[in-house]
Amino acid sequence: MKRGLWYKATVRDRNGKVLSCENRRSRSMLGNWYRILYAHMASTSTSLVHTSGNSWGVINFGDNWKFVAAANEDYIGIVIGTGVAAVTIDDYKLESQIMQGTGSGQMRHLASTPSWPSVAGSSCDFLTSRTFLNNSGGPITVRESGIYCRVKGPTYYGYACIVRDVLATPQDVPDGGSITIDYTLRITA
Amino acid sequence: MKQRMKIKEGLSYEVVVRDRHGKVLERIAAPSRSYARAWNQCLYVLNRHTGYTITDTSGTGQYISVSSSVLRANAGVGEIGYGIRVGKGTTPVTINDYALEAPCGEGTGPDQFLHQATSASSPAVAGPDCSFWLRRVMVNNSGSTISGIQEIGCYVMMKYSPAHYGLGYRDVLPGPVYIPDGGSITVTYTLKVTV
Repeated sequence: MKRGLWYKATVRDRNGKVLSCENRRSRSMLGNWYRILYAHMASTSTSLVHTSGNSWGVINFGDNWKFVAAANEDYIGIVIGTGVAAVTIDDYKLESQIMQGTGSGQMRHLASTPSWPSVAGSSCDFLTSRTFLNNSGGPITVRESGIYCRVKGPTYYGYACIVRDVLATPQDVPDGGSITIDYTLRITA
Repeated sequence: MKQRMKIKEGLSYEVVVRDRHGKVLERIAAPSRSYARAWNQCLYVLNRHTGYTITDTSGTGQYISVSSSVLRANAGVGEIGYGIRVGKGTTPVTINDYALEAPCGEGTGPDQFLHQATSASSPAVAGPDCSFWLRRVMVNNSGSTISGIQEIGCYVMMKYSPAHYGLGYRDVLPGPVYIPDGGSITVTYTLKVTV
């Protein structure tokens, strides 16, 4: 039985025409994924660096791991950026995140849309998807993606980067176009 | 620029059998092949921050909501509702497994073990790895050898009250192991991601 994470990046123009698509196995569960998992399985707390850069840790808490995100929220859910630095085990944020907005280098973040877990054949998977619209007035090249989730430390709430990928091919998103990132967590017998 | 480092994520296990003096009689270590459906469903509950019906270890669908209890595995002494378990089943793992096939119970009767607490190490980063382990010792005070132990796994809590448990992962060993009277079996699962 195998377990893994896959991502798919799909770029469309302003008319919805698909311009490019990259679909491959994610290489990017980070140390923070396991720190949160440990906090839950051992019902305890452990150290963890939040996306803010603060070492606020994580405790066992129901809000942990939440990465469903509403529109405009660029601090949680699937996120994208322009960084190209190779992934390291202790990455705690994207290298250079594309923020919410319509200004230069910004993209509009739509809500993330998780699907129900499904069993098909010998696999069980669930998918989380998010679309980003480029209304900045110029093209934007997306080079990295990831997932930020909510975490609670002993004192402070915050957010943790639990997944990060550097795209194999930089994805050019034209003005008026969009990029959709799908992450699928799958177990296969 | 292409990403040059490859990250691997995995689960592995080690089984150690000892006699009453602590002498190691057998040691098996292998990659686990065994995350079960309920594991992904528990992650879904946490990730989406929602509720979902998940089959518990009794085979009954239970509505599980977000809580700090989801995925908890640090069972105390004698608690067999969750934590690492062993059994005598030999059926290969399938995606729809919801429990061990023939789990050994708690006690000193035939085919029963005294389950010690499930312990966990803190996550450690060593070079490109981040990992932690879960471990449980089960002691055979049944008065005779317990033979044919061939499956191991980990039950996780899904709800605290009323308590519901799910199968996190299950493995079938390459062959049966035998635990002599007074001896023990120690199962360690290591969860690791490697850059």
